[in-house]
Amino acid sequence: MKILALCKYSLDLAEVKVDPSTHALLTQAAPRRIGGIDRNVVEAAVQVRGAAGGTAEALCVGPDAARDAFKDILAIGLDEATLVQDPYDGTAEAGVIVRILEAAIRARGPFDLIVCGFASDDGYTHQVGPRLAERFGLPLVSYVRRVALDGALLEADRDMDDRLETVSVRLPAIVSIAEEAFPARRTSLLDALNARKRPVNVWTTQEHLGLTRDALDAEARIVSTTEQGVYVQRDHQVVTGGSPTELADAFIDALVAKAVLAEVAA
Amino acid sequence: MSGERRAVLVWSERPEIAGTLVEGAHALAAATGVEVTRLDLGTDGAAGDVDVVYRTAAVPPGATEQLVATICAAAEAAASGLLLIGATKLGLEVAPRVAERLEAGYAAWAVGFEVDAAGSVTARCRTYAGSALSTVVFRPGPVVATVAKGETLGAAAGPIRPAANRVVDLPAVEAAPSVTVLRSQPKPGGASVDDARVIVDVGQGVREKGDLAMIQELAAVLGAGVACSRPVAADRDWFPEWLGLSGAKVKPDLCLTVGVSGAVQHVVGIRGSRVIAAVDNDTGAAIFTQADVGVVADLYEFVPALIDRLRVRRITAASR
Repeated sequence: MKILALCKYSLDLAEVKVDPSTHALLTQAAPRRIGGIDRNVVEAAVQVRGAAGGTAEALCVGPDAARDAFKDILAIGLDEATLVQDPYDGTAEAGVIVRILEAAIRARGPFDLIVCGFASDDGYTHQVGPRLAERFGLPLVSYVRRVALDGALLEADRDMDDRLETVSVRLPAIVSIAEEAFPARRTSLLDALNARKRPVNVWTTQEHLGLTRDALDAEARIVSTTEQGVYVQRDHQVVTGGSPTELADAFIDALVAKAVLAEVAA
Repeated sequence: MSGERRAVLVWSERPEIAGTLVEGAHALAAATGVEVTRLDLGTDGAAGDVDVVYRTAAVPPGATEQLVATICAAAEAAASGLLLIGATKLGLEVAPRVAERLEAGYAAWAVGFEVDAAGSVTARCRTYAGSALSTVVFRPGPVVATVAKGETLGAAAGPIRPAANRVVDLPAVEAAPSVTVLRSQPKPGGASVDDARVIVDVGQGVREKGDLAMIQELAAVLGAGVACSRPVAADRDWFPEWLGLSGAKVKPDLCLTVGVSGAVQHVVGIRGSRVIAAVDNDTGAAIFTQADVGVVADLYEFVPALIDRLRVRRITAASR
């Protein structure tokens, strides 16, 4: 069984701030890492390999710096990882990145199972799984919480808005995992040491995938994107100290002062 | 939407979202004269008046390929330059697939649109999980967009033409389903908090479902509705719905968060609150950067004390 985990080198959104005066989105200062969802994607891939045998590898389109972050996901138990250097340095739309992923998957594959997150941590636009399903004509099971294999049949629980479904699909297939599903294991020093022996491939779109910049540019549908951070002025008043009763009183006083709480009319 | 592609096509499996999308399409029609159309799969009859209704057979659950093919067929029939799809989990799954098939642009989490004289679509979208609003200018050509529940796409001016509701029957599209649904279990329903003046917003800091009794008691004292963040609803199934980017967006006078960490995807849903007050035991929780009033406390000690003091002092929600 050949399993692929798709990982994005993502912005840590919790560290993205908005300039209160210009509303500029301050992304440069925010750290980047393999997204939390995508670490879980790696965990899911490694778990399936544990049950079914075979290999589990990761694929990431990102900057050179992502190679450092591979240590962490290799330690979870991947056999190999491939970084395709992003010729757009993070500025390309999802449709273009999917063309790169598609070419890299064809070069590394064929895979029996491709696992990705339902969305990336930072972009959060839910596009990669559905788009790849179209590009490859493969079945897609989205928002998955559990998988079980029975030969070439995969059974999965998926979490839709208003219902939970158990579905069955024949491999090869694409699975996107739900938020907080397959929480990644804690890795040990030994895991980290073993991970250093696993191969990491660094590819370019031109040399290894035969994708020219012009060919990729032609896939773009977006002319320009301008971002403005959303900033809502808040008072940030912190109530501290004292017993729970004193805290409760101070809290009530603060909310009465803001005229959202009031004494019950007699 | 360029040249001959002068229609907006709306589809959502949720009638209330389809209704909002139809209103937004009418607002765009008022500005640009586009035709307003919708796809009816037998589930969105209440979506409102349009110029043309494209009607075809219902698509069974799990038949995503058939749904994608049906939406594409309707988009072709309508010569649609802009497809508006509700940003539900199903909508977010089918919309990028439709964009791939139509070689269209794609705008996720859209909140507004413009169409220029040359026919190019510009979409405003919530990006970075709601941290930012992006203005996205597309090349001429069709654009597919997803729009979440609770977004308003411009003033609901109503139809600019007498609503024709002309029905065009489309042939059913055949596509073999690749996924077999073995079992399907609906999540429990519940009361909406859309109109509540005060909302108590439950996060993952509330550990046990039984602890909701304490939260309900607090809500009763405040005359508040109770809502929650996405993991509490989707992973624990304590509530049918959640507040956030993918859930409801509320605008109460007071949103009191209890054990909410403040992930941006959730904050998007409560950002319209006049006052946000937060209780959490983690000094560094992101929610405190989004709150007007914060208390760093163990909610299991604080909430009972708060209920007690509200009762003793005869304090409740202020009237408007």
